[in-house]
Parts: sequence; C-alpha cells; structure tokens
Amino acid sequence: MERLITKLLLVSILAGSSVMAQNIYERNCVPCHKDLPTSLGQMFKEYLLIYSSEKFVKAGIKHYLRNPSKSISVMSDLFIDTYGIKKKTTLSPEELDEAIDIYWEKFKVFDKLK
Amino acid sequence: MLSDKRATLAQYAYIQTKRLKVLHYFFPERTEYPRDPRFKSAIYDIEFNKIFSLNEMERVDFDEEIYVENGYIHFVKGLDTYYLGTRYLVIEVKDDGEWLVQIWKDIALYGAIAFILFLLFGLYLAKLFLKPMRDSIMLLDRFIKDTTHELNTPLSAILANIEMMDTDVMVEKNKKKLDRINIAAKTVSTLYKDLTYLTLEQEKQNEDEVLDIKEIIKDRVEYFDILARSKQITFQLSLTDATIVMDRRKFTRVIDNLISNAIKYNKRNGEIRIVLERNRLTVSDTGIGIAEEKIPFMFDRYLRFNSSEGGFGVGLSIVKKILDEYNIAISVESKEGKGTRMVILWND
Repeated sequence: MERLITKLLLVSILAGSSVMAQNIYERNCVPCHKDLPTSLGQMFKEYLLIYSSEKFVKAGIKHYLRNPSKSISVMSDLFIDTYGIKKKTTLSPEELDEAIDIYWEKFKVFDKLK
Repeated sequence: MLSDKRATLAQYAYIQTKRLKVLHYFFPERTEYPRDPRFKSAIYDIEFNKIFSLNEMERVDFDEEIYVENGYIHFVKGLDTYYLGTRYLVIEVKDDGEWLVQIWKDIALYGAIAFILFLLFGLYLAKLFLKPMRDSIMLLDRFIKDTTHELNTPLSAILANIEMMDTDVMVEKNKKKLDRINIAAKTVSTLYKDLTYLTLEQEKQNEDEVLDIKEIIKDRVEYFDILARSKQITFQLSLTDATIVMDRRKFTRVIDNLISNAIKYNKRNGEIRIVLERNRLTVSDTGIGIAEEKIPFMFDRYLRFNSSEGGFGVGLSIVKKILDEYNIAISVESKEGKGTRMVILWND
C-alpha cells in the first residue's frame, strides 16, 4: 500500500512538473489548435500576408484574441463557418503579450531564410 | 530616362513575386530564398525592416521607384499581398550604362529625323513663298527668249540699209533724221545682242583666241560714236598694245556693255576715258555715278538703279558672268554726281 502511494505521488509530481515545464503559449494556445486542420504555423502565415511586420502582426493577433469576430479574422469564411469563432481570451495582458511573443519567435521568417 | 530598364526590372519583380508566393506557401519546409542570375533582390516588411537580402547595397531609398546608386540600378516594388510579410521587393542590377548610351543614340536619331523634317518643311515653305518671284523671273525670261528671236531680221535690215544709204545726196535735215534712226537701231541692236547672249548663246562652246584688245576697242568706240555724239559725249582713248585669250564674241559683249553703260549714264557734254594697259583696262565716265552701298548689287540681273534709262538691267550681269568664267577681276569705283570707273584686270 505504501508502495502504491509512493508511485502515485511520483506520477503526479512528474505530471505536474511536465505541465509546469510548458510555457504559456504551449499551455494556452496549442491544446485547442491541435485539433484544427489548419496549424498554428499556417495561421501565422495568414497573419503575415495581411499585417507584414512584427509590430502589426502582434497587434493584429492581440486585437483578435481580445475581440474575436468573423469580420476581422484572417481565416477564410469557410473555416470560420465550419469551426466557429474562438472564445474571448482569459489571459491577462502580460500573459497575452508573452504568449504572442513566443508565437512570433516560433514562426517568424527573419533569420530563417538562406 | 530609365524607362527601358524600368520595363525589364518590373518584369524581374513580377517573376520574383511569383517565386515569393510559392516560397510563402511552402515555408518553413522550404527556406531557400529564390535566386536569379539576371538580378539580385531583397525583401522588406511594411516597417522597412529587412527580411532577407542578396543585394550589394544595403541602403534602400523607398521613396523612389527606380534609381541608380554606386553603379547599381534599384527598382522598388510595393506588393499588395505580403508574401512572407514582404511589403517591398527591391530588385538590384548592375548599371552597365547601356541605357545612357541608348538615350544618346535615341536623342541623336530622333534629333536628326526632326532636323530633316524641319529642313524639308522649311524648304517647302521657302519654295512656296519664293514661287511668285520665281514665276515672274521665268515669265520675263520666256518673254525675252521668244521676242529676241524674232528681232534679228528686221534689226539687221534697218542697220544694213542705213549703212548703204548715200548720205551725200541727202539734205542736212534728213541726215540728222537718219542719224537718229541709226542711234536708235544701234541701241536696240546692243540690247538685242545682250538678250540673245543670255538666252541663246551663252551655252555655246567657247572659241578662245588671242585678241588684239586695242583693235576691238577702237572698233567698238567707232560703233558707239554716233550714240555718244547724240549726247555730245567725247571719248578720250589712251591705248597701248595688249592681248587677251578669250572668246571674241564674249569679249565684245564686255566692251560693248561697259561703253554703252558709260554713254547711257553719262551727262550731256560728258567724257568717256578708256585707258588700256598691258593687263588692265579702265573705262571711266563723268556721269551720275552710284551710291557706294549699291555697288555690290550692280551686277545683279534685272537690277537698274536709274529707271530713266532704257534697258532690262542685264548688261552688267552679263559682264560679270563672262569675266567670272575667265577668272578676270572687275572693280568699280563710283562717286555720286562725279562718275564711275570700271577696272578690269587680267593675267597675262
């Protein structure tokens, strides 16, 4: 019995530490997006097509996450009609900025072309 | 000025945009920026941050569409769809100066064409404006040509018959009348000879020979003597022996015209002085003279300075034409109211 408790404790510590190891982007963005047919990388390119620079892309994403609506979405009407509009973000402004910064760093084009 | 290059660079920009579009959809699986041996390029985002560049020149003037810097031509194209975030695509090619050479060639070519067109247009206008003048000269020429031909026979008949008349049996009154007829006929005859020379004879082949000038002058003075006497003009001759190689007919026309002019424009009781030296002939009169500024125009055809005397104004133009043909110089000195002096100078 004691051995079982020890095992469960170990598993829960490991699970908790792995969750803690994930950053805010991975915790709050990736889980919902992983079930969508369009990846976060593809969506990033949709933002680039419209907003071009780092400042504008980040501002565009931030605005959408705070006020999600069909009219300002970068995705196609078909996508929106099929998968709907996301819910308004619950993250604080700081958390949101951090998540977006991570997103930008992950998919930005700068320094990746050769 | 870079319009030709602009078209080529715009074409390159179009090609590169298509390649960026493809790269955009395959990014990040593909990360190799599209290259082309014909040009280099760079991409910038909407805030002018460099996304990627192959260009030699780092600095970009986004206010210009096309410009040359440090030997490179740059073409800045703004994209409507920001593939990979690209707002500005900058195409760079080396400036070989070919476009400048081409511009100079074009300027030279089109300038030459424009010049020729204006020249032709100018000639056409000049011709149009000069037509009435040319027509009137041609009319006068044709009239003279037609009439002179018909004058010879009656004129010869008059002169021959005057010579043949027996003046000894004539009363004094009739002698005077005959003299007047003789003068009139000789005046017409001189004019006739000038006109036929101009219209018919001047194209004849020259028959040059050594002429005894003294002999010819004496003969012509005698011929014109009756004309001179009608104005009480006297001849003063100072003739030394001299010769010239010339067509007799032409030389006679020169002498006739000089003497007849000296008579025509002389005063009554005037004097004509003819001095012949080895290679110089001077004919001076004591007539009305002409203004100095008009001297250069004396030899122009149909130009007469004094309309009170008869004639077509062709005499001195004939003299000048003949003397020019033989490279003989003629100079004129004249003082209004005092007289005119014509000097002919020839080489031995």
